Amino acid sequence: MAMSANLLAVPVAAPLLTAALILLFARWGGRTLIRHQIALTALALCINLAVAVLLFRGAAGQGQQFVLQLGAWPAPFGITIYGDGLSATLLLLTALVALAVYPFAVATIDYHRARMGFHPLYLFLLMGVNGAFLAGDLFNLYVFFEVLLMASFVLLTIGAQPAQTNSGIRYVVLNLLASTVFLVAAGIAYGTLGTLNFAQIAERLPLASPAVRTVFAGLLLVGFGSKAAIFPLFFWLPASYHTPPPAVTALFGGLLTKVGVYTLFRSFTLFFPELLLSWQPALLTIAGATMLVGALGALAQPGIRRVLSFHIISHVGFMLMGLAVALSGNSLAIGFGLGAAIIYLCHHMIIKTALIMAGGAVELHMGSDRLASIGGLVSRQPFLAFLFFMAAISLAGVPPFSGFVSKLSLLQITLDTRHWVVAGVSVFASLLTMMNMMRLWRESFWGDYSRPSRVPSRILQSGVRQKLILTPVAVLVLLSLALGIWGEPAFRLSMQVAQQALDRQAYIEAVSPSAQISTLPAGHLTVPAESVSTNSPDGLSNAAARTPLVSR
Amino acid sequence: MPELYLRFLNRILTPVLLLLSLYLLLRGHNLPGGGFIAGLMAAAAFQLQILSRGHERVRRTIGPYLNSGIGLGLAVAICAGAVGLLDGIFFKGVWFSLNLPVLGYLKIGTPVIFDLGVFLVVVSVATSYLLGLSRVSDAAALLRQDTDAPVRSDSPASVMPDANVEPSHRAEP
Repeated sequence: MAMSANLLAVPVAAPLLTAALILLFARWGGRTLIRHQIALTALALCINLAVAVLLFRGAAGQGQQFVLQLGAWPAPFGITIYGDGLSATLLLLTALVALAVYPFAVATIDYHRARMGFHPLYLFLLMGVNGAFLAGDLFNLYVFFEVLLMASFVLLTIGAQPAQTNSGIRYVVLNLLASTVFLVAAGIAYGTLGTLNFAQIAERLPLASPAVRTVFAGLLLVGFGSKAAIFPLFFWLPASYHTPPPAVTALFGGLLTKVGVYTLFRSFTLFFPELLLSWQPALLTIAGATMLVGALGALAQPGIRRVLSFHIISHVGFMLMGLAVALSGNSLAIGFGLGAAIIYLCHHMIIKTALIMAGGAVELHMGSDRLASIGGLVSRQPFLAFLFFMAAISLAGVPPFSGFVSKLSLLQITLDTRHWVVAGVSVFASLLTMMNMMRLWRESFWGDYSRPSRVPSRILQSGVRQKLILTPVAVLVLLSLALGIWGEPAFRLSMQVAQQALDRQAYIEAVSPSAQISTLPAGHLTVPAESVSTNSPDGLSNAAARTPLVSR
Repeated sequence: MPELYLRFLNRILTPVLLLLSLYLLLRGHNLPGGGFIAGLMAAAAFQLQILSRGHERVRRTIGPYLNSGIGLGLAVAICAGAVGLLDGIFFKGVWFSLNLPVLGYLKIGTPVIFDLGVFLVVVSVATSYLLGLSRVSDAAALLRQDTDAPVRSDSPASVMPDANVEPSHRAEP
């Protein structure tokens, strides 16, 4: 167990060490050096994927929980790294997305950007995302959020085009605001509960006063929600995703908002599951509004990447909807909503990345992604047109693909828990998605061939590059197809993951924040817990009796 | 540009700052100090060099090594954590005792090596920031001179942009 727990360090340590080695030798050599950087990065991505598969097999397949107390310091004092099914699922998908986007990036990133450190930044971003999925306390979660924010900020602005700098500033300001809100929440947790460790917060939060819980939950919802781009807080996303090189957009679209979604899942299931019931109207309203705004906003956008980035927002709404009904009593299964949200998350990460890459290929070929001025690519690039079409109908939820399974299960649970309005909204948003996808495909592939740019495009002419760009898209589309065809076993797996995530007691016992204290004088640790519990001795009953918030 | 008293101070203060940063680095295991603070202290020494000798010269001397310093520091820190795997757990402190012939008995552990890595990262990152800032402020001063006396022929626009595309100061986390 001890050795397998050390595996948890690999998704953070391997990208970091590789990036460090790349930086160490960054001085010497020109294009050969870049080639070595690419080889090293690819090696790190493969190691990361292998370890993620191992962790996924252990955690999601066999229901294990991996806990690594760094340096063998016991839980509330040391740094806890925790991996269960939910973390392992996200690690696996992140590894897949990162490995799939990388060939595309290699084929499309120019020498100048590579020399400015594109490859180490790619690894730093991966490290931040992995670390956020594995962090076992609020402070390290904050640190990894900052790591991924910094790496993504530089990736966004690298190359220093004016539009990039403009969007980069908006991106970094809005994200720093969200981080500040999150930091305030962490401060409140430390001030009132005396701890930052997830397990210990989960242990002590039921004893805290309802006011503390409400404020803590609200701040986390705002902080994580704005990372996840939920309804009133999504503005950073459409403002920034269309300016960097397409490879960067594909990576961001696959990974970044999903960190926010994961932290929402984790915090609501572990810290305040009771709020999933009492805040349900508010959460469902936000989810519905997010779905609708994303889909409607996409309808009005002129370019491929802008349409796709609005659809990311719309899909985050679907996941939030699944989370909101995770604990509602239903006739299907315990935690069905969360299971459906998790499989939706898998579907979304796979197919969104594929679609942004396919859209990026169109943009690179045409020299522009304005739908009004491009068209007729199907005659020049039939395979790309085919892949784009498959990815688009998967995103829209057409049966053999994963989109169908995930949307159907979400619809099932919302209908079963009698949330008719939000179910209707989700169907309407899916319909709009279908319309948008057809619009994208028709405008860019159908009709007469028209290419607005006069500069000859070499990206898709060279055979090697074309393979590097289209193979990962094809692989991801096949994965989505497999997830749809083997929907039943996949869904069973994601239900297991969801039930493990909802089992708070198992988390607390696995980390056991108060177990190893026996060597210290008795009463050393119980002091803060008692002082907290004196605030409201009847904290739990109070929470249960509280009236639910009225929806906004 | 560099003034006399600065050059004089530089001679005295730079060794003092560097020795002090080494001292802070080594005492950091049990007492206030450590890699981060020591790194900032060493960066202050480099800032003194920038002030007294001008950033061009400092950049020529140590500029090319800053990225390598960041990479080396990160690698050293991670490897110090990986040594803990010998004892079963990542980042577990492992202690070696060296028996030096003259100085006697020296106990050295992975936390010190980790701190050394942090020191390298901090000193490289902070120095590259300082070099970048001094370059930008130089360009701004040039720009101000130009607006005061607009007869100057070389345009300031050619100075500003390349201050931004200098590969040696990237914002690393």
